[in-house]
Amino acid sequence: MFRPLQFFIPPPKWRLPVLIIVGILAGLGAFVLYISNAVSYLSDDPRACVNCHVMAPQYVTWRNSSHGRGTTCNDCHVPHDNPLRTYAFKASDGLRHATMFTLRLEPQVIRIKQAGIDVVQENCIRCHGDLVHEVSATSVTAMHAAAKEGLLCWDCHREVPHGRVNSLASTPYARVPLPGPVAPKWLRDYLEDTPQNQ
Amino acid sequence: MKRRIMDIVQEKPWLGWTLFLGTVVVVFLIGLLAASIVERRDEADLVVQVEPIDEWEPRNEVWGENYPREYETYAATADTGFTSRHGGNSVIDHLERYPNLVILWAGYSFSHDYNQGRGHYHAVEDIRKTLRTRVSQPATCWTCKSTDVPRVMEERGVGEFYKASWEELGPEIVNNIGCQDCHDPKTMNLRITRPALIEAFERQGKRIEEASHQEMRSLVCAQCHVEYYFKGKEEKYLTFPWDNGYSAENMETYYDEIEHVDFVHALSKTPIIKAQHPDYEIYMTGVHASRGVSCADCHMPYRSEGGVKFTNHQIMSPLATISTSCQVCHRESEEQLRKDVYQRQDNIEELRERAEDALAKAHIEAKFAWDKGATGQEMEPVLTLIRHAQWRWDYVSASNAMGFHSPVEAARTLGASIEKAERARTKIVRVLARHGYTDEIPLPDISTKAKAQEYLGLDMEKFRAEKKEFMETVVPKWDKQAEVRQAKY
Repeated sequence: MFRPLQFFIPPPKWRLPVLIIVGILAGLGAFVLYISNAVSYLSDDPRACVNCHVMAPQYVTWRNSSHGRGTTCNDCHVPHDNPLRTYAFKASDGLRHATMFTLRLEPQVIRIKQAGIDVVQENCIRCHGDLVHEVSATSVTAMHAAAKEGLLCWDCHREVPHGRVNSLASTPYARVPLPGPVAPKWLRDYLEDTPQNQ
Repeated sequence: MKRRIMDIVQEKPWLGWTLFLGTVVVVFLIGLLAASIVERRDEADLVVQVEPIDEWEPRNEVWGENYPREYETYAATADTGFTSRHGGNSVIDHLERYPNLVILWAGYSFSHDYNQGRGHYHAVEDIRKTLRTRVSQPATCWTCKSTDVPRVMEERGVGEFYKASWEELGPEIVNNIGCQDCHDPKTMNLRITRPALIEAFERQGKRIEEASHQEMRSLVCAQCHVEYYFKGKEEKYLTFPWDNGYSAENMETYYDEIEHVDFVHALSKTPIIKAQHPDYEIYMTGVHASRGVSCADCHMPYRSEGGVKFTNHQIMSPLATISTSCQVCHRESEEQLRKDVYQRQDNIEELRERAEDALAKAHIEAKFAWDKGATGQEMEPVLTLIRHAQWRWDYVSASNAMGFHSPVEAARTLGASIEKAERARTKIVRVLARHGYTDEIPLPDISTKAKAQEYLGLDMEKFRAEKKEFMETVVPKWDKQAEVRQAKY
């Protein structure tokens, strides 16, 4: 019988170093998950979106808007028609954001991509459908808009919800629940109290 | 049997080393990623504040390194180029504009010198320069002039601060009203640094810690822009007379109960209550306050610069910023809004001048009655009327904005002032008649500041010379001492 684990067992003289290195690898992996608040990305909590501080202007403009009272980021920015699509979209969007942020490729002004436009327009209609059908018999989807067969909601409602001025520097002193330094408080206090740092 | 890694490596040891080095590379890369995440999380801490600010840092320019937009607009309070019809940030000599004031304050140093205050940036210079600080004052006078005050209060204790003399603290108080007065240096939250406001709230049974952010946007101003007095002959403890409420009548009851007298009038011998600048109190009686509009909403309107929205810290008359101050709510043209403000202010000024005229005459006529042999018993009701009339007039006129903070309340208060002053004058006529005098009471020419001061026998030349010497000899020493002290920060 083929047992995959057996396949990976190294020769006897390699075993100890391999154990140690696999341990290091696992520990490092856990550390990365911890410092990146990885678990928070499974939630709907908007604070997960400001794990990266470049999202602070988006966070604070949303929180101070009318949408800040009853919606989360995910309500508008991920699809809600089926859970598989929800998580697939979240994963691809999230990985893209993480890559851009890690490689420092984020632009000064972050603009939504077509995939995001499709989803947000879908979600406008999802919640405001009752209002929209009073205005037009058929809702304008992002596809219609792309084909110039109608306008997107925010082509007119331009301030909704992030305001009109959006750049990394547009809300310099906004109160945003950023995750803060990695080192725990007791360690930082200890380091601050050591004499050579005073 | 399938081959296992064990067998392969035993055959080709280089493959084992390749696997090992491959893992090293992977660990190295994950380490880099971890380091990058840590770095970017620390970065988030830095974007909030470039240079940490010490708890009692008095120097505004040090705060300004972190908050350049706020600091630059604050520093613009140095500007003296805006004059509205009844105010602005330029120097206006109130005694020149309303010479009756000299008579109203006879026996008090306000009759020597009283100017429209310039912006916060000039606070220390202006209090050093005014002729009112020529005579020795308690250190309590410094309380609202500088960001150094909370620091010195922390060092000496609040009671000891007030007990000191104004000159003693001269070298300590050099930074103008600024950041530290209203902000917590760590969080930039609005913060009350002056104990008098906290104590006044406590006596009213309220806790200032429970104030909302919007209320704080007025309360930080109410640390200073209020009516106050110095309690106790020795203690000179800064106290707000708010126990009964904010109206002129409420505070008058308070002052009458404790028999508070700021000075005895040199002509009429009236025990006068000198109003300071009850801006917050008058505002609290007005329609803007009842709609929840704060001081900052009009005096520190939001501004946008390069896509960044921030609060304009050039605190001044909203008539200079009608578009951002008024038009946010009022959908009228700038011109119309300015006209609306001026209409109210002009009307208040008219009432104010009537009150001043009646009060000046009442003081002079009371002196005439004393000279004709009137008794203390005869004069007592007259003096009470003058005390209450002058307090009401001062409640409005000592405040900024020529009554605009609450035009209806200002008009009501001035109306009562005029009525009381005229009743005092009628009583004086009766007293004089009792002493056999029924002619017109002669009135001196007090049509200019100089003439009015001459009538009081004030040696203004001497006062100015003394002040000049003080500015040239004492002040440079204070600045030198302060410079040495601040170099150690």
